[in-house]
Amino acid sequence: MKIRVERDGLADAVAWVARSLPSRPPVPVLGGVMLDAGSSDGDGGDSLTVSGFDYEVSATVGVPATVADGGKALVSGRLLADITKALPNHPVEIAVDGSRMTITCGSAKFSLPTMPVEDYPALPNMPQLAGELAGEIFGEAVAQVAVAAGKDDTLPMLTGVRLEIGEGKLTLVATDRFRLAMREFAWEPNETLSETAVLVPAKTLADAAKTLGGAGNKVELSLAANDGLLGLSGNGRRTTTRLLDADFPKYRQLLPSEHSAAAIIEVDSLVQAIKRVSLVAERGTQVRLEFVDGGLRLSAGGDDEGSAEEELPVEYTGEPVTIAFNPTYLLEGVHAVRTPKAHLSFTTPSRPALLKPVDDDGGVAPGYLYLLMPVRLPG
Amino acid sequence: MRLVIARCQVDYVGRLTAHLPMANRLLLIKADGSVSIHSDDRAFKPLNWMSPPCWLIEDPGMWIVQNKAGEKLIITLEEVMHDSKHELGREPGLVKDGVEADLQKLLAEHVHTLGEGWSLVRREFPTPIGPVDLMCRDHAGASVAVEIKRRGDIDGVEQLTRYLELLNRDPLLAPVRGVFAAQQIKPQARTLAEDRGIRCVVLDYDELRGIESDEFRLF
Repeated sequence: MKIRVERDGLADAVAWVARSLPSRPPVPVLGGVMLDAGSSDGDGGDSLTVSGFDYEVSATVGVPATVADGGKALVSGRLLADITKALPNHPVEIAVDGSRMTITCGSAKFSLPTMPVEDYPALPNMPQLAGELAGEIFGEAVAQVAVAAGKDDTLPMLTGVRLEIGEGKLTLVATDRFRLAMREFAWEPNETLSETAVLVPAKTLADAAKTLGGAGNKVELSLAANDGLLGLSGNGRRTTTRLLDADFPKYRQLLPSEHSAAAIIEVDSLVQAIKRVSLVAERGTQVRLEFVDGGLRLSAGGDDEGSAEEELPVEYTGEPVTIAFNPTYLLEGVHAVRTPKAHLSFTTPSRPALLKPVDDDGGVAPGYLYLLMPVRLPG
Repeated sequence: MRLVIARCQVDYVGRLTAHLPMANRLLLIKADGSVSIHSDDRAFKPLNWMSPPCWLIEDPGMWIVQNKAGEKLIITLEEVMHDSKHELGREPGLVKDGVEADLQKLLAEHVHTLGEGWSLVRREFPTPIGPVDLMCRDHAGASVAVEIKRRGDIDGVEQLTRYLELLNRDPLLAPVRGVFAAQQIKPQARTLAEDRGIRCVVLDYDELRGIESDEFRLF
């Protein structure tokens, strides 16, 4: 293999592929990045394909390159990513001679050992196309929902985002038992696709949606529910991930149907206030929200440590009430509504509260909700 | 165990030099030959010490503790306020709170936490190289060996791997899958276990004991 490639394109491609590689690969080749020059079938003129696969997640991206001599090579992904990121802004020449890969860029030169290409697993094929989505909508929806997914894998079903493909709409849901985020939007899936629901690892989906869903891009969603595989492609990048084989909790019954109190709060000032008062809430214990007519008093801390309070004007309807939340969860929810104002509704301090976006007319905007369980008030 | 309370100065001469100025201190001379100098703080940690094997040479007003590397602890005694010796007898050893055994018992009672429809065959299921913590059958009736640890590290995975290898030689049991259950599992251990097809399960001790956390939860 002997190729010449632009530094920026190469660095981006390798960094994107390497981010999904395992940090502790059980077999060294799985920590590798495959460079394949000249054997792609010329779709869009990409002549270098960079790919990675660890049996869970695969990632493939094409980079335009001048190929003098085609071939494949497998090198350590992390090392290659570090190297390409640090290269000066000059064309990069990559050559493989025997078992070593030489990378020359300007006056910098690297030589890396290659790993045997034969030992590398075959990447899964992209499953059947399920439909197209606007990149920014998909990216935003995934980010809004994935925030509520569980981080520890004691309960595997909580580490996923559930994708429900229904008639004319797509629903994304995630929950970690303390909060639940759900986003619904209109979507026309491929005709051949029947209604279905799958559970996708949240971290992988969030990463993929962020990097594939650039402005103006289309993201293609493809699905092989029977083989447990989800594919996403866009922006010249393709990724597949294994689906989680677990039952998602029956969440519809958790959504409260009514509320007795509601407030419309300006997101920016609320975020600032939560951040300030929660400085005294040790390790994110709780921030208390005291709603009275026309005002909201936030407070945190207690007599032992420091305490803080701050007042905000809010539009509030209902009886005065004090309700407490985990400040991190509350902040993440307030951020996730993505509108300048948020609608917070609840019944009692021990029942879940609901955060929803507010549209320009001051009404509740449909499509998104963030259900948040309060924390126990002291005493 | 010999306890000496004395006003002393201690100088250590060895790979480095350290000096403790004249003050009142507790000197412990243990049956293993070790000498440690304690002040009236810092719990278990001495100001200076010499680990066995070492020898105490007592001269009037000056003790020298020396080990075979030639390192010396020179204790200059100004006044000895207390000097007593006690026979402590045999040490029964530190008994940990038995969490591991407790976990085994609890998990045996709640096998369904490992999977819906699972049942317990027996605790301490014998293998030629020692008993495996739990032997279960999954919903389909296949054998599953469970190794329970408080902290799951590589050694535990290796141990379970050995059990599995031997259990799988038994045609009545094979194929036997493995589950590595622990309160916390080190990332290296998880990688190794999953590479060997062993499922990792993080156990919540409090939840197994039925002490549900009193946090509000959605479900």
